[in-house]
Amino acid sequence: MPSPRRLFRLLPSVLVLLATVALLLVGCGGDGEEAADASGGATTGGGSESAEPVTLSVGLFGTFGYEEAGLYDEYMELNPHVTIEETSIEFEQDYYQALQTHLAGGAGLSDIQGIEVARIAEVTQTQADKWVDLNEFGAEDLADTFFPWKWEAGRTADGATLGLGTDTGPQAICYRTDLFEQAGLPTDRDELSALWEDWDDFIESGKQYMANAPANSAFIDSASGLYNAIIGQSEMQYYDEEGEPIYDSNPVVKDAYDIAVEAIQANLTAKLEQFDQAWNQAFANGAFATIACPAWMIGYIKGQAGDAGAGKWDVASIPGDGGNWGGSYLAIPAASENHEEAYKLIQWLTAPEQQIKMWTNGQHFPSSSVAAADGSVAAATDDYFSGAPIGEIFKESADDLPIAHLGPKDGVVKDTISQALNRVDQQGEDPQASWDQAMEEIANAIE
Amino acid sequence: MRLKAQMAATDQAGSLVAEAPGPRPRSAWRTRLTKLDSKASPYLYISPFFLLFAGFGLFPLAYTAWISLHSVSLQNVDDRTWVGLDNYSRLIHDDQFWNAVLNTLTIGLISTVPQLLIALGLAHLLHCKLRGSTFFRVSMLMPYATSVAAATIVFAMLFGRDFGLINWFLGLFGVDNIDWENGKWSSQIAISTIVTWRWTGYNALIYLAAMQAIPKDLYEAAEVDGASRWQQLRHVTIPGIKPTIVFTVIISTIGATQLFGEPLLFGGAGGYRGGADHQYQTLGLLLYEQGWFNFQLGRAAATAWTMFLIIMLAVAVNALLAARGRSVFAVGRRRRPV
Amino acid sequence: MSAVSQRRRGLRRWGVGEQRGGPWTYAVLVLTTIVAIFPLYWTLVAASRTNSEIVQSPPPFTPGGNLFTNIGEALDQVDMFKALLNSLIVSGSIALGTVLFCTLAGFAFAKLRFRGSTVLLIIILATMMVPAQLGVVPLFILIADLGWVNQLQAVIFPTLVSAFGVVFMRQYLLKALPTEIIEAAVVDGASSFRIFRSIVLPAARPAMAVLGMLTFLMAWNDFFWPIIALSSQNPTVQVALNSLGQGYVPDRSIILAGTLVGTVPVLIVFALLGKQIVGGIMEGAVKG
Repeated sequence: MPSPRRLFRLLPSVLVLLATVALLLVGCGGDGEEAADASGGATTGGGSESAEPVTLSVGLFGTFGYEEAGLYDEYMELNPHVTIEETSIEFEQDYYQALQTHLAGGAGLSDIQGIEVARIAEVTQTQADKWVDLNEFGAEDLADTFFPWKWEAGRTADGATLGLGTDTGPQAICYRTDLFEQAGLPTDRDELSALWEDWDDFIESGKQYMANAPANSAFIDSASGLYNAIIGQSEMQYYDEEGEPIYDSNPVVKDAYDIAVEAIQANLTAKLEQFDQAWNQAFANGAFATIACPAWMIGYIKGQAGDAGAGKWDVASIPGDGGNWGGSYLAIPAASENHEEAYKLIQWLTAPEQQIKMWTNGQHFPSSSVAAADGSVAAATDDYFSGAPIGEIFKESADDLPIAHLGPKDGVVKDTISQALNRVDQQGEDPQASWDQAMEEIANAIE
Repeated sequence: MRLKAQMAATDQAGSLVAEAPGPRPRSAWRTRLTKLDSKASPYLYISPFFLLFAGFGLFPLAYTAWISLHSVSLQNVDDRTWVGLDNYSRLIHDDQFWNAVLNTLTIGLISTVPQLLIALGLAHLLHCKLRGSTFFRVSMLMPYATSVAAATIVFAMLFGRDFGLINWFLGLFGVDNIDWENGKWSSQIAISTIVTWRWTGYNALIYLAAMQAIPKDLYEAAEVDGASRWQQLRHVTIPGIKPTIVFTVIISTIGATQLFGEPLLFGGAGGYRGGADHQYQTLGLLLYEQGWFNFQLGRAAATAWTMFLIIMLAVAVNALLAARGRSVFAVGRRRRPV
Repeated sequence: MSAVSQRRRGLRRWGVGEQRGGPWTYAVLVLTTIVAIFPLYWTLVAASRTNSEIVQSPPPFTPGGNLFTNIGEALDQVDMFKALLNSLIVSGSIALGTVLFCTLAGFAFAKLRFRGSTVLLIIILATMMVPAQLGVVPLFILIADLGWVNQLQAVIFPTLVSAFGVVFMRQYLLKALPTEIIEAAVVDGASSFRIFRSIVLPAARPAMAVLGMLTFLMAWNDFFWPIIALSSQNPTVQVALNSLGQGYVPDRSIILAGTLVGTVPVLIVFALLGKQIVGGIMEGAVKG
């Protein structure tokens, strides 16, 4: 008869056995469900409020800002049977990978997923079957409330609508008035806007700045930021209307690259990589005087530079024609169990009234033309940025937005060329060699 | 191969176990039960592991091998085009691949050799009677317990170009700011530092556990012969834990060849590239970039299996070297256990 | 024990191999400890400061007063308690399961003779060499088919397959388990289960303790696979930390405050069980 001590020795093994059995039972019994009772496929037209409680999961990246603006709370008040849970991942690349992996397995998806503009073409062109066609719920009626180019990018070739636009990124230049003053440059925004007709003028200003620059300060944060701003201004970027990659033959791309290289060679950049930790720190340390500023960068600057930076920044028009950088869509994966409720939520979130709120709350510039035309948007100013009329500045930029032709691998091309510029900027590589390497890498990656 | 010889010796000893005759006659039933027990029980012993392995290890491996012969993207996993060995030949001709191989080799060397040497030294120190030995032993595991995210944030700040602590410290001696991330050697040294920091304590404890198993008499005999502590280390301790050293060398080699987390997080947002010029991109990162950024699963799978071949080679070479004692631990006569 | 060694014992309080450490030993060990603990300490510093304080240059080295605010904020943003509980369940199960299965298999490979043992061992060694990352996609598809997405099983079962554990236990048992003892037990008519329970387990205890602890830590800090298989509805600590501190600016002080909370259980385990685990190792020394 085994003694108690012996039995005690047996304990761990027994525990494990029990645990394993328990887990197996739970595993085989349950199924991976996280939403509460869901009214699955009720497609009765809008209006009928389902009284069954529903939990909607929202998967986003970066800073959509809905939580901060209190929109979820507002919606939940209006619709008491709905509970909203948001998950946000910092880097869009990490987010997108997880999204694709989950799509591959058909599980682990949220009811609503955000999609960045650099990825939307890939989704509409290659994955239409995995996403809900929002036209089923009457999305076509919303077409007029959005900027045409924004609306078009969210549709497939067959006319299905996969995503509703959230915000856009019309561009401007944000600059440090105190640093400009120290370097002897004009600080008035209208003066600068007039001065910077095109990018050559901008570079000239840069050289003037560097001639008298305050210590440890460069004119612009990074070469790749400059490059992205220029690319965002043209209609033909990396793909043409037929969807063929033209990144290597499109003169616009090479020209933008060359301008950025010029900035590097004139020593205008702070040699930073955007969204890096060092770049984050640089805001607070005055390492650069200007930065290409899509509307969403405003909130970023405030957050990074903190209270110490209030009143030291200002906003001027961007050289060249407007341009867009960034912006996203909200879409519903087919695997979601709450198509109708999810649609109602995204329709509400992207409706003009809410887009106006997102602007006043966090400077997310509307993708809705109706919202953009609203007085409160156009009249917005910002004290942090020395009272700049940001509403006006960004609206002007948005009106100039071209209908850019997007392609599935825009993100890859953009990242590779940005890295090519980093090589020139931070590692001193020869610009032509770096360009050639980038072309090779892109060809390798997308074919 | 030494490993095989070792296993053969074990098998021989095992056979003794399985067939030792009883001194008393037993009933036939009992004998049969015993025979069945000894014949079947090994399989029972290994079956939990292999069952799990068959389910969760084998399927992904087989799938990966199959995928590597196709062109397939993550967006549409079911949409596959057969390309045979094309993915592999593309890989061989890809400069980025050879760059990654070289980087993996250099980072592997810089991170494992000093690490294991330091671990050995630390284990030897810990092997003494110390005040607060528990504290020291536990604190050595702290790096292993620190989450990767926290460690990376800290090290990224240490190695920052403009505001990093290390550059500040070097600046005290008049050294210019080193751009750690952008240089080839500087980035690899930085990454090796992170790896060494994380794994040295772990290996030290493994060595320590093995050292505890060395019979005291050996040390006593060495004392009697007048050996100093350093000589004891070389002639008693190290030969005594030779199998463990081989073991850690193999494990470290495998780990170094698959190095992924540290360089990825070191590079921040663009870390998967291993730097703007892929200066610290290891094979693991290349694999990750292909599969998760370019979404080309087929080619990533081909990279994974090529890595497998390389690792096998590296392990074989390393095991041979370590077992033959051609490494730093070349020792003299081996004392026979009493 | 010979007369010589007895005399030796008289001369020194401890035997050879257990000499007292000298001042240099302590110096080196203290330095090592500082290096080992520094990032964790700095996490505490950062967690007790505000984000703008952290990004300054040079960064602060002493803790500030913001710790509880940050922790409160972190707990607000993610359900940390659930994450901690989940991590405990997951890491605990993985540690227990791995130790048990690997001891079983390690013993078999080390001391038992059976057909195909060499081949199987080589297979195990080989699996260690296949990079884990790529397996994520098929593994996820498998987990999805089993309906385990967002369940803890998705994280527990695949991680139980530890080739390293098998090799480690085999290595240890080869050395620490004398074949003669097993032979003697067989001669006495013990069944193999009896042998395992009464002979193998006690002998393997030190290694089991080490393996268990290492496995627990590894499972606790694992993030690559859990982030795919789990979501914020049912997270482990690392998954929860991943969605922490979001906003217009990733608030590092909150992220690190959350990280600190996530590391506290590990520290508690160390504080409580550290002696036991180390004692386990020491016990092996006495036996040896």
